[in-house]
Amino acid sequence: MRLMDLARVVRSKNAGPLYLTFDIMFETEADYARGLAAKGLGADAVAGLYGVSSNAVAIIPYPTALAIKITLPRPAAAGGPRDRDVYGAQQHVPLLEIDV
Amino acid sequence: MSAAARLRDRFRKSADKRLKLVGASGQLGYGVPDAAFQAALERAPDMIGADMGSTDIGPTFLGSGEMATAPEQTRRDLAKLLVGARKLDAPLIIGSAGSAGAGAHLDATLAMVREIAAEAGLSFRMAVIRSDISAAAVCAAIADGRVQSMGVLPDLTAEEAAASANLVGQAGTEAFVRALDLEPDIIIAGRACDTGIYAAIPEWLGFEPAAATHMAKIVECASLCCLPGGRDSILATLDGSGFELESMNPARAATPMSVAAHSLYEQGDPHRIIEPAGAVNVQNARYTALDARRTRVEGATWEPAAQLTIKLEGAALVGQRAVLLAGSADPRFIGRVQENLAEVEAVVRSLVCGPDEAPDYELFFRTYGLDAVFPWPSPPAHAPREIFILGECIAPTAARALAVVKSTKQYLLHHGFPGRLSTSGNIAFPFTPPELSAGPAYRFNVYHLMQVDDLAPYFPVELETV
Repeated sequence: MRLMDLARVVRSKNAGPLYLTFDIMFETEADYARGLAAKGLGADAVAGLYGVSSNAVAIIPYPTALAIKITLPRPAAAGGPRDRDVYGAQQHVPLLEIDV
Repeated sequence: MSAAARLRDRFRKSADKRLKLVGASGQLGYGVPDAAFQAALERAPDMIGADMGSTDIGPTFLGSGEMATAPEQTRRDLAKLLVGARKLDAPLIIGSAGSAGAGAHLDATLAMVREIAAEAGLSFRMAVIRSDISAAAVCAAIADGRVQSMGVLPDLTAEEAAASANLVGQAGTEAFVRALDLEPDIIIAGRACDTGIYAAIPEWLGFEPAAATHMAKIVECASLCCLPGGRDSILATLDGSGFELESMNPARAATPMSVAAHSLYEQGDPHRIIEPAGAVNVQNARYTALDARRTRVEGATWEPAAQLTIKLEGAALVGQRAVLLAGSADPRFIGRVQENLAEVEAVVRSLVCGPDEAPDYELFFRTYGLDAVFPWPSPPAHAPREIFILGECIAPTAARALAVVKSTKQYLLHHGFPGRLSTSGNIAFPFTPPELSAGPAYRFNVYHLMQVDDLAPYFPVELETV
């Protein structure tokens, strides 16, 4: 199953102009557990998708909201020359196809 | 007696130690929904707050000193809040004035406030917090090894700090508390932590920072913490052990799950909210439904910072920007669009520069339909039916940038390539001119942490009678 078919919310946004932060929220405990167990949502796999080193990727389970947060550095500060997404609101898309 | 002084007196004398705070808007200047704001006023809140700024809008507004919001709408929103707050005689606190909170933004906001007051016949005491940080102060801190990178941007140098067109620090709760000591009716701050707007009155009245700051972090986004999230005003009722949340739009519900999930929003770490003087830890926070639309929050803890810090923000000019808007639906052109663009770029360079001249500009294409939004590692399985090409040039002058995109437009239209069928033109222009000057381009050159021994000298507060 793809993440986009399992999760309730998959979103990205700037966390300040230097970092992108991704929130993946699930409807049920079982879905959340399935998301947590997915290899594709591990630091190495996410680092590969976004072209950053895996030790720069923070993956933070947030059980209170049945959510997984991922935070990683932007390729360059937001809004500078050659930036593609000033608010970072469309950088979640590569996560959608992850196999869970 | 001023609104702040009256609130303090009421709070000292009354047995009711609850404080009602209204988050009117998370981004003043785009419109404050009226029904919810009027409903909030009917609840007779003890304060009204609004945030006006963010770094989300990019470096250009900080650099240029312009507001991101339209002046007319900004004035309308400010007037709504001013008139509402004065009618109740409740303190009004506005942070990150004018989108980016530098001197130019603050002064433009203050000018609007004075005009609104004159037109509405209002008179009040206004405390003003300035957030500009001098490059000299930052350079001195750099020399002392007291400025740290937060990642992505390299360590700050004195040259880079001095290159900032505007350099600000995020004022914290401390600055708003000093402003309250002046007993104002309203406070307008330059760049500020959005939490300071709402945590200051509680702290001034003796509340512990943990629950107050947790509450502040949620209400600064108005009803975004609700289901469905939205921009309507929200009411927080703070007491000694926690706070309750209620959207002022009856169609929005603050549920335990929606409020807890809000800790994720635009935050690198959902468990800790970091402020200049410490951090709120919400790992053990408890969210309890009071009814279908209201949630009570308790259990945040406060971790005082071992070292006071100021988050610095600076923007430096890169050049002048011009853009070219162009579309194509031709499968042969789309099939080799990257090669076509590279070939056109080379031709343009040979035309606008002398034979031995290096280009004094940067030309960059975003090809929507292929990889403009995300740098996909491989092309799509099926070619798109249409593409949109956004050409962007940044050059030393606006005239130069426009000249480059004008030549680009013409040579892109008529570029010959193998297999071309459409020999009268490759591109559809949505209108003319398809080349537009887009004003100055900036970059964030400073986003660093500066260690300080005392926050107050960096955020001077003054009182004005309007």
